[in-house]
Amino acid sequence: MPLSKDQLRRAYRQMKTIREFEERLHLEIATGDIAGFTHLYCGQEAVAVGVCEHLANDDFIVSTHRGHGHCIAKGCDVVGMMKEIYGRRDGLCKGKGGSMHIADVNVGMLGANGIVGAGAPLAVGAGVAARMDGAGKVSIAFSGDGACNQGTTFEAMNMAVVLKLPVIFVYENNHYSEHTGADYAVGSKDMTKRAAGFGMLARKADGCDFFAVYDLMTEVLQHCRSGAGPASVELDTERFFGHFEGDPQRYRGPGELERLRETRDCLKNFRATAKARKLIDLAELDAIDAQVMQLIESAVTQARAAPVPQAADVFEDVYVTY
Amino acid sequence: MSKLRALTMPKWGIEMVEGTIAEWKVTAGDRIKKGQVIALIETDKIANDLECEFEGTVARVVADAATVYPVGALLAVLAMEPATATEIEDFVRSFRAAAGSAAAESPGTAAATATAAAPPPTTAAIPKNANISPPARLLAEKLGFGVGQLRGSGRRGRITLQDVDQASKPAAAPAAGKPVSVAVTTAALDVFHASAYAKRLALKHAVDLSRLKGTGPRGRISRADVLKSAATPPAAAASSQSFTIEKFTPMRKVIARQLTLSKSTIPHFYLRMRVRVDALMALRERIRKDGGKPPSVNDYLIRAAALALIDVPQVNIQVHGEEIHRYKHADVAVAVATDRGLITPIVRCADTKPVAQIGSEIRDLAERARAGKLKVEEYAGGSFCVTNLGMFGVDEFDAIINPPQGAILAVGALQRRFVEDAGSVTFANTLKLSLSCDHRAIDGAVGARFLSALRDLIEKPLRLIS
Amino acid sequence: MAKMMLREAINKTIHDEMERDKNIVIMGEDIVGGMGTAGGPEAIGGIWGLTGGLYAKFGANRVIDTPISESCIVGAAAGAALAGKRAIAELMFADFVGVCLDQLYNQMAKFRYMFGGKTKCPVTVRITYGAGMNAAAQHSQAVYSMLTSIPGLKVVMPTTPADAKGLLTTAIRGDDPVMFFEHKTLYGISGEVPDGEYLLPFGNARMTREGNHASIVTCGQLVRAAEKAADALAKDGISCDVIDLRTTSPLDEECILDSVENTGHLIVADESPPRCSLASDIAGLVASKAFAALKAPIEMVTAPHTPVPFARELEKAYLPNAAGIEAAVRRSLAYRH
Repeated sequence: MPLSKDQLRRAYRQMKTIREFEERLHLEIATGDIAGFTHLYCGQEAVAVGVCEHLANDDFIVSTHRGHGHCIAKGCDVVGMMKEIYGRRDGLCKGKGGSMHIADVNVGMLGANGIVGAGAPLAVGAGVAARMDGAGKVSIAFSGDGACNQGTTFEAMNMAVVLKLPVIFVYENNHYSEHTGADYAVGSKDMTKRAAGFGMLARKADGCDFFAVYDLMTEVLQHCRSGAGPASVELDTERFFGHFEGDPQRYRGPGELERLRETRDCLKNFRATAKARKLIDLAELDAIDAQVMQLIESAVTQARAAPVPQAADVFEDVYVTY
Repeated sequence: MSKLRALTMPKWGIEMVEGTIAEWKVTAGDRIKKGQVIALIETDKIANDLECEFEGTVARVVADAATVYPVGALLAVLAMEPATATEIEDFVRSFRAAAGSAAAESPGTAAATATAAAPPPTTAAIPKNANISPPARLLAEKLGFGVGQLRGSGRRGRITLQDVDQASKPAAAPAAGKPVSVAVTTAALDVFHASAYAKRLALKHAVDLSRLKGTGPRGRISRADVLKSAATPPAAAASSQSFTIEKFTPMRKVIARQLTLSKSTIPHFYLRMRVRVDALMALRERIRKDGGKPPSVNDYLIRAAALALIDVPQVNIQVHGEEIHRYKHADVAVAVATDRGLITPIVRCADTKPVAQIGSEIRDLAERARAGKLKVEEYAGGSFCVTNLGMFGVDEFDAIINPPQGAILAVGALQRRFVEDAGSVTFANTLKLSLSCDHRAIDGAVGARFLSALRDLIEKPLRLIS
Repeated sequence: MAKMMLREAINKTIHDEMERDKNIVIMGEDIVGGMGTAGGPEAIGGIWGLTGGLYAKFGANRVIDTPISESCIVGAAAGAALAGKRAIAELMFADFVGVCLDQLYNQMAKFRYMFGGKTKCPVTVRITYGAGMNAAAQHSQAVYSMLTSIPGLKVVMPTTPADAKGLLTTAIRGDDPVMFFEHKTLYGISGEVPDGEYLLPFGNARMTREGNHASIVTCGQLVRAAEKAADALAKDGISCDVIDLRTTSPLDEECILDSVENTGHLIVADESPPRCSLASDIAGLVASKAFAALKAPIEMVTAPHTPVPFARELEKAYLPNAAGIEAAVRRSLAYRH
């Protein structure tokens, strides 16, 4: 079923929001205002949005260290996120988590995660919960091509198959496990075939093409929501920045980044498809761009002005009761 | 044979692993005879006298009253002939519980760690390469204390300052004294959200914890809260008490525990039936006329119950958790009231014994029960109990099962009643029986079958005397 | 009150709680047992007999027999809890904490904190632990000290059937991750267990002997050894407090300090090896907060700094015992001033 104009506008807005959020962070981090390690999602927006546009509030996702995109796509508050990344007291996690640990269970976002591969078992648990609730809910484990080599991921895939859980393992293959080529680190060089070996539905698509991702997820989600068991989806995508902010990226080939920005930009691809298929007036997308820029500007302004945590806050929120 | 003998915690029954000395009946120096009661011992099932199996003098009382000891633990030492304090001390120290007894693994009998005396100071110089810390060396040199024999407590045997300090000082007096109790005293205060020491202090200073608001962790009443309250006592409490307080005797404790357990965990149901005892009365009358002394109605009832248990074996049982233990013969317990409380000695294999023998056994058991002379095996076990309050004129009553027995029969007073007999109304001698059954193991119909078998035996008593 | 074994108390508590709260899910290896075999489901019911009867009563959605995947078991329990359920996970042996430590200490322990107090993670991880059954180095360890050191986790160790019920109920109904350590040699001990609702608050130590000369602080299997030692010492007129900590996180500091302030002598008995252990932790606590009360150096009775050996004689030599605790009390009291 083709996407409605509303759906198209919404999807584009989400992708653009992620893009500008990350581009802006790239600039702000360089000023030294933001502490810690930040891993930017720029370039992979079509994956997060292509998956999450299918999800309801009470479907679950488990994210990774590169989690800003998943958070925004699943509906986390952008200003709250920006404040959190700035380490502010009224950030989404009161300044206690930072970039790598943004979560909001109220929108089914069960957390970004600093440990590569740790999310898949959590997603299996969310799948257990989803099945107990019995309303066709699903649980999505986002992982990169790096996490797909962790034992926990294998355990999780096997257990999801054994228990026939509504879990989808979404592998974002951006071709770099930190600073190492995925072709080197994935021994078989084919993570989809490997996932299929676990006995689950395993599919792949171009992760830089929102429409390809969206269409594939339509099919895969139908499979999972019907109770037919887990699935794996490999999405071929690109990382426009380094592993973390400050990564000199000496592993990149000459002109690689420029070429990727030119040919593999999911936002450009979205516009091209929209134009070719006459889906939506591009001027509408330009208007969304302007609104998004304003939103991000406002988020940064608010984050900078927000109060910082107090030393006494360090003791709060360890336990519910102790 | 040694002139000293150990008196140890006895093992009564298969399951006993430990016991509490409820009360010592002797003290050190007492001359005691064989068979004399030396202590009252309480287990989780019974309270009973511990009798001495030898004649001699109590040399030492080792175990404390109100303290739990494993089976086989040394309770006291008995001297057959006079013994010196050293001999007694050596005996106590070297006592080993029998292998396999609960006490065999207890450290209580391990020899105390002797405190080493300070080694004599020597003036030998400490070698340059000795493994000793510089401050320890300085101290040793200052004291002129040779460290050659000293085993260092540090890593790889290094001698520390504390090693030299301790070794150079005279030994502390060995910590030893009269046995003491370490039983927890605050169990009754467990309901309060208070720290362990707060409870102890509350007992000591008679502070009512229910009046206190805790300021400790998680709102708990702390030591400080109690002390503060103890410092400011409430207005004088009412002084004249209109009652006296008496602690449960050990036997009362056992009764309370057993019956609470029974009434709160066993689903009782009750079946009541009035039976005619005219034939039984006639039978007794005939014996009397023949110049004999007839057994009591109760003796016949025990016999009848025993036979009914054989007829309806589903009632002749003990219940243990989710197991039913079935018995070939009927061991019938008989409730006996004593000054110390209720006790239920058992007529073993009552189904095989004539009524007269049952009668004489019951009288012997009852007499010894009142004198507190029953042996454990005389009141442990049994599958059924008969309790009779008819002599007090009680018409009828329901009894509480004495676990693990499966049922109990309550017998009321003899009553003359109008009954319809072959179309006319006549007087009959009757008894009201009430059978309490453990529904976990005995269903209503089974209990009813038992009761009707019992009625048949009582109303047609020929089988009772055959 | 009903007399039952500790294992029965645990099994019954899980049954009762799962009956009471439809939101509870339990998962672990062989907790149903026999899945995919000729024997069929419930052929086992857990190797320690703790989870029998759950599958038949609550079904496969709530009683989840997993593959041998400790990380995923613990992770899935945490994930289910984040997603709004109340999870019980079982680790067949405490030693397997090494396999799934990330999910325990990077994940469930930290969620609430990392996420700014806006989530909770109600997971009870039941862990069978301890030496005494000749299970050797990879099936006998007492890793509670390690987990006690992790902020965000609670660590609980019942030593009686009644405490097992009271503490497990509190663990399951609580909203924080709890490491519930069950000593394998205590499963068979019997005791009275209160009927009906019975919750024991965490952080309340249990005084099992009362005395004035020395304080023996311990937990788990060694509580019984400490009691034996105290009873033996009492015969010589030496009376000791024996403190069963029940929970090592939160720790009942007040109980320990109150006791040491009264006795001046501290003996800590701990089944874990001595370095960075519960024993050293409590010794440090007392040294820093009750230094003025101490009349002798603190005695630590612990396992040695070695793996757990196999042979009976070796394991016996490895494990702290009543005689060792008794000797430590005597040493402390014999300190020369």
